[in-house]
Amino acid sequence: MKNRLRVLRAEKNWTQAQLAEIVGVSRQAIIAVENGKYDPALPLAFKLARAFGKNVEEVFVWEVDPLQDGSL
Amino acid sequence: MFKLPRPKMNGRNSVQPVGTLLSVLCVATAIDIGAGWLLGRPGFGSHARIIFALLPIPANLALVAVIVRRIRKLDEFLRHVHLEAVAIAFLLTGLAVFVYGYLQKAQAVRPLNVGIVWIFMAVFYGIGYVIAVRYYR
Repeated sequence: MKNRLRVLRAEKNWTQAQLAEIVGVSRQAIIAVENGKYDPALPLAFKLARAFGKNVEEVFVWEVDPLQDGSL
Repeated sequence: MFKLPRPKMNGRNSVQPVGTLLSVLCVATAIDIGAGWLLGRPGFGSHARIIFALLPIPANLALVAVIVRRIRKLDEFLRHVHLEAVAIAFLLTGLAVFVYGYLQKAQAVRPLNVGIVWIFMAVFYGIGYVIAVRYYR
């Protein structure tokens, strides 16, 4: 799953620590999500999206549509 | 912009204060050492020796409770990291004990002191934690 976290954070001029503070997680969590190493659970994904005033789909992008590739 | 609830934790306090953990750890270790020392001394009856052997249980249970509380305060990502560390420690400790058991059967090593297993777990947990942190960095 790809995400636009780094771009959105840069637009807001927030540091990773500031974003971590806003959504209530550790900075390591933000680093891991930004680097695509960790896909957050729904509550954190929603919090991250809300922090930027976006919907989840505007922040997180499923690379392959699960409805089209037959996995669902 | 959407209003988010006040954060429960942040980057700075994501690692909770370790004061309580260290205090309980010190007390538990002191009782462990004390119990071991008492058990090594002659002159006690079998009932007393059983009591000495069970003496460390309450403090060690308190240590477990403190650790569980700390884990529950971690965010989902840090829980994920610690879960991997625990899984790696579990598997490597099992492997180490397995290998040691065969070496013991081959009479290449002395019988295993069960106290050493805890050290295996702690070391492998540290290794697992480093592996998980490096992977997600």
